[in-house]
Amino acid sequence: MITLKAYLFISLVLFVTGLVVMLSRKNIIAILLGIELILNAAALNFVAYSKYTAANLDGHIFALFIIVIAAAEAAVGLAIVIRFFQVKESVHIDEASDLREELTR
Amino acid sequence: MTVTLLSNLAFYIPELIAIITMCALLFMESAYGDHERRRTFVYVTGVIGLSLCLFSLFKNIPVESISIFAGSVVVDSFSTLMKITMVIGTLGTFYISHKSIDIYEEFKSEYLIMAVGVLVGGMLLASSNNLLTLYLGVETLSILSYVMTSLKRRDSHSSEAGIKYALYGGITAGVMLFGMSHLYGIFGSIQFGEIVNGMKAMQEFNIAVIISMLMFFVGIGYKIACFPFHMWSPDVYQGSPAPVTAFFAIVPKIAGIAVVARVTYQFFGAENVNTEMWMRLIQIIAALTMTVGNLSALNQKSVKRMLAFSSIGHVGLILMGVITFGEQGMGAILFYTLVYTFMTLGAFFVTTMVINRTGSDDAVYFKGLAKTHPILGFSMTIILFSLAGMPPFGGFIAKFNIIMAAVDKGLLTLALIAAINSVISLVYYLKLARTMILEDADGEQKIDSYSLTSRVYIIAMVIPIIFLGLFWNNIYNLYSSAKIYLN
Repeated sequence: MITLKAYLFISLVLFVTGLVVMLSRKNIIAILLGIELILNAAALNFVAYSKYTAANLDGHIFALFIIVIAAAEAAVGLAIVIRFFQVKESVHIDEASDLREELTR
Repeated sequence: MTVTLLSNLAFYIPELIAIITMCALLFMESAYGDHERRRTFVYVTGVIGLSLCLFSLFKNIPVESISIFAGSVVVDSFSTLMKITMVIGTLGTFYISHKSIDIYEEFKSEYLIMAVGVLVGGMLLASSNNLLTLYLGVETLSILSYVMTSLKRRDSHSSEAGIKYALYGGITAGVMLFGMSHLYGIFGSIQFGEIVNGMKAMQEFNIAVIISMLMFFVGIGYKIACFPFHMWSPDVYQGSPAPVTAFFAIVPKIAGIAVVARVTYQFFGAENVNTEMWMRLIQIIAALTMTVGNLSALNQKSVKRMLAFSSIGHVGLILMGVITFGEQGMGAILFYTLVYTFMTLGAFFVTTMVINRTGSDDAVYFKGLAKTHPILGFSMTIILFSLAGMPPFGGFIAKFNIIMAAVDKGLLTLALIAAINSVISLVYYLKLARTMILEDADGEQKIDSYSLTSRVYIIAMVIPIIFLGLFWNNIYNLYSSAKIYLN
C-alpha cells in the first residue's frame, strides 16, 4: 500500500531537484526543465491529496490545468530562448547580463 | 446546473467583451496581412472594444457581491472598480504604443492583441475566488507578458528582459503552485470560502499553513514586485519597449494588488489563529518594499529604471493600505491605484517622447525639456510632484489617505516609514524635474512624433491628477463604499 507520505516525499524531492537545477545550471533550457520539475511536483501533490485527504476531484482538475499551462509556458519560454539565441548565439545564462544598474556619479 | 452557469454569463459581460475584442484583433491582424491601413483598423477596433468594456463595467457596478460559475469567480464592487482602473490604463497605453517608435510598426497590432489578453488575465485575477482561477489569471497575465517583453526583435536588451522575466515568472509560479497544493491538502478544497472556514476552525497556530501561504504569496508578490521578489522588475522595465513598460507598471500590478487585498481580507479579515502572523509579515514586506524601492531609485541613470524602482516604492505604500482592512483602507487603495495609473501613463508618455527623439531613456536627455517643449516639460513636472506626494496633486491625497488609514489602525511605525520614504522619493523626482526645468538643452530638440494629439493626451493625463487632488471627496466616498465579497 502506497501511503500519502510516499507521494509527498516524491513530490518534495522533485521540487527540491527543480530548485537545485534552476540555481546550479547555467543553460537556459536546463533552467526551463527545472521549472517543469517544480510544476510536476505541484501536480503530483494535487492528485495525491485528491486521492487521500480531499473528498473531491478538484485536485485532478487542477493537475490537468497545470499540465496544459506548463505546455503553454514551455512553448513561450522556448520561443524567447530561440530569440535570445538569434541575438547572442548562446543559451548561457551569463550572456544575459547587459541590463544592469548604471548610476550617475 | 447548466442553466445557472449559463445565466451567470450575464454578470461576466465586461470580460466577454474584452475576450471578443482580443479575438477580433487577432482575426484582423491575420486577415489584413501587411497592409498599411490595417493598423488604423486594429487601433479603432481595440479602442472601441475596450470603451464598450469600460462602459459595461461602469454601468454594472454591483451593489451586492455575488459569486458566479459555481463560486469560482466573484463580482463585487471592489473588483469592478479595480477593473475600471485596469481598462483605463490599457486604453492609455494604446496611445503610447501608437506614438512610440520603440515598437516596430509591424508589431503594433500584436502589442494590442497581447495587451488585451493580459487585461483579460488581470480581470480574471481581480475577481478570482478559488485557487484555480487565481492560478489561471496569474498565468494568463504572465505568459502574454513574457511575449510582450521580447516584442522587439533582434534587440539584445528586449530578448534578455524576456528571458529574465520568463525564468523568474516560471520559478515563482511553480513555488506558488506548490504552496497551493499543500493548502488544498490541508483544507481539502480549492475554494477560498472553504479554506477560510477551515482556517477559522483551526484551534492553534499551524506552521504548515503559514509556510503554504508564504509560498502562495511568492507568486502574487512577484507580480506586484514587492521586496524579496522585486529583482526582475528593473531589468524587465529597462529592457522592454517603453509602451510595454508603461503597461507592466499598470495592469499586472493593479491586478496583483487586487488579489493581495482579496486574499488578505478573505483569509485574515475575520480573526483567526494565523491573522497575527500574516499581518506582521505584510507589514515587514511593505516597509522593506518601500524603503528598498525608493533607495534604489536614487541616482539611476535610466529613467525607465528609476520609474521601475519608484513603482516598487508605490507598491509598498499600497501594501500598507492592504493590511489596514476596513472601508477606509480599501477606499485608499482604490484611490491610489487610480491616481497611480494616470501618473504612470503621463510619466511613461513623456519618457516615450524622449526615447523617440534620442533612442535612449537616459536622464541627461531630459535636459531642458521644459524649455523646448513647455507642455511636455511642465506636465512631467506636475506628474513628478504628484508621484512624490506633494499637495495639491492627486498623489498627495492618495498617500495621505493611506497613511491616515494606517494611523487609524495603529500602525504608527509603518506610517512613519512611509512618511520618511516620501521624503526620500522627493530627491530623485525633483532631480529629474530640475534637469528638465533648470538645465539648458543641447542641440536639435525636435520630436517628430509630437503632434497636437500628443499635447491633448498629456494634458488629459494631468487634468485628472490635479482634479483628484482638489475634488477628491466624491470619488473617495464612492471608493470607500466598495465591498469585497466575503463568504
